[in-house]
Amino acid sequence: MIGFLKGMRVTLRQLPKKKVTLQYPDVKPEWPERFRGVHRFIPELCIACNQCARICPTSCISLAGERDENKKMKITTFDINFDICILCDLCTEVCPTEAILMSDTFEMARYSRDDLYLDMHWLYENEQRYEEAHPERVAEKAGRAE
Amino acid sequence: MGGKRGNDVSLIDEQNQIRTEEMLLNVGPQHPSTHGVFRLVVKISGETILDAEPVIGYLHRGTEKLAEDLQYTQIIPYTDRLDYLAAMLNNYAFCHTVEQALELEIPERAEYLRIIVMELQRVASHLLFIGTYLLDLGAMSPFLYVFADREQIVQLFNEICGARLTYNYLRVGGVKWDAPPGWLDKVEAFVRYMQERLSMYDELITGNEIFLARTRGIGVFDTDTALAHGMSGINLRSTGFRWDLRRNKPYSIYDRFDFEIPVGQNGDCFDRYYLHLLEMNESLKIVAQALQQVPDGPVLGKVPKLIRVPAGEYYSGIEGARGELGFYIVSDGKDKPYRMKIRKPSFLNLQLLPKLLRGQNMANLIAILGAVDIVLGEVDA
Repeated sequence: MIGFLKGMRVTLRQLPKKKVTLQYPDVKPEWPERFRGVHRFIPELCIACNQCARICPTSCISLAGERDENKKMKITTFDINFDICILCDLCTEVCPTEAILMSDTFEMARYSRDDLYLDMHWLYENEQRYEEAHPERVAEKAGRAE
Repeated sequence: MGGKRGNDVSLIDEQNQIRTEEMLLNVGPQHPSTHGVFRLVVKISGETILDAEPVIGYLHRGTEKLAEDLQYTQIIPYTDRLDYLAAMLNNYAFCHTVEQALELEIPERAEYLRIIVMELQRVASHLLFIGTYLLDLGAMSPFLYVFADREQIVQLFNEICGARLTYNYLRVGGVKWDAPPGWLDKVEAFVRYMQERLSMYDELITGNEIFLARTRGIGVFDTDTALAHGMSGINLRSTGFRWDLRRNKPYSIYDRFDFEIPVGQNGDCFDRYYLHLLEMNESLKIVAQALQQVPDGPVLGKVPKLIRVPAGEYYSGIEGARGELGFYIVSDGKDKPYRMKIRKPSFLNLQLLPKLLRGQNMANLIAILGAVDIVLGEVDA
């Protein structure tokens, strides 16, 4: 009986404490800067070197590029199959120009599997969303690059 | 009960006792107490278990086979998904084997960061064991307490590597990122907070009479049986056998820290629960010491861009959250392993289960299965 009462005391001590739960989806969680959500992609930076597609453990990235008038490689298609992406972050790790990065978009429920096939435009829109949401992070990065 | 219920068949036999039949009962694959998709076919007579047969493989993803077609860096995210409650330890076990094969030099700061995240991970994993085990036995509130505390560890991991469960943080030769500014202070604050919480858990659970009645003297086995079945980790230590790879076969920099290896006496479910509590305290002690000593410097050693392991066979085991977690790599000198075998502690610890369950009461099944502390992602790999 004593052990039981001791436990009861702990329970009573907990009563006045603050709640730790988050009222999702009314309140969204705040993710740290390194959080690995859905990718964002900046087409101007991409040199179509194919390193991200090669390092991807599940081979979910497919891309194609062509040379422009200045003989520079330009990206033409860039797709991520989010059906099989495991968000391991290896693609952003190998990217030499930081064209592919992780965002904090995390709500990925879709009605159809086809909607999980994310193309370049969706990913660029995601980048714009991210820049809008975190202007300070983007500014800091631009400052470091210079 | 089944069978005919006609007038010619009586449910009451000559001695006026209710007639019972043997019956096959499926516990799982969808059962909250199997902690995943694990099926246990039990043959029961009334409330007594006559025989039990575990059926595994529902979560089999073929990690070992997949690894044969992946470069060494690409395998690391797959190891996250073995024992998904202790992904950092899996990461380390794999990276450590490759590092041993390459005879790599690991920077000091990376070693310390690894120790900190690994021991925090052990605390998180043990916390979850305590919560879910008590939930299995019918106590709801400890589950809520541990999730609140585990959330803090998960948040710390989220800050250092950007993921809450599948971290992919360790790399061959070091770690992916240095700790963000202020992170180590947060860990220090957490260690102090958690040490207080552990005594709270002790107060809340350990003395509880219902809990004691359900776990004391239940699921007992001795050291010889445990060793004969290849058990390791807390399951082995609960029998009083002091065997912890961090102490017996030191890897990384564990020889620099002062910590105890708690052992049980009776080898019953209560000992296994209590060792989880004691080990958390030891892990926190290691983290506190590591935080004192952590130096500055690089976090990733000199590693070739394309890792080619020299031809040969390599094995190294570490003390995972559930026992000896080992990776056995056969290499033919290419950038991918020729064969990879994982020594999965959960799988080996599970082998004794049918013997333990025979003759037990049906209600004890959950108590015994829960105390073995399996994670199905690892059992099925």
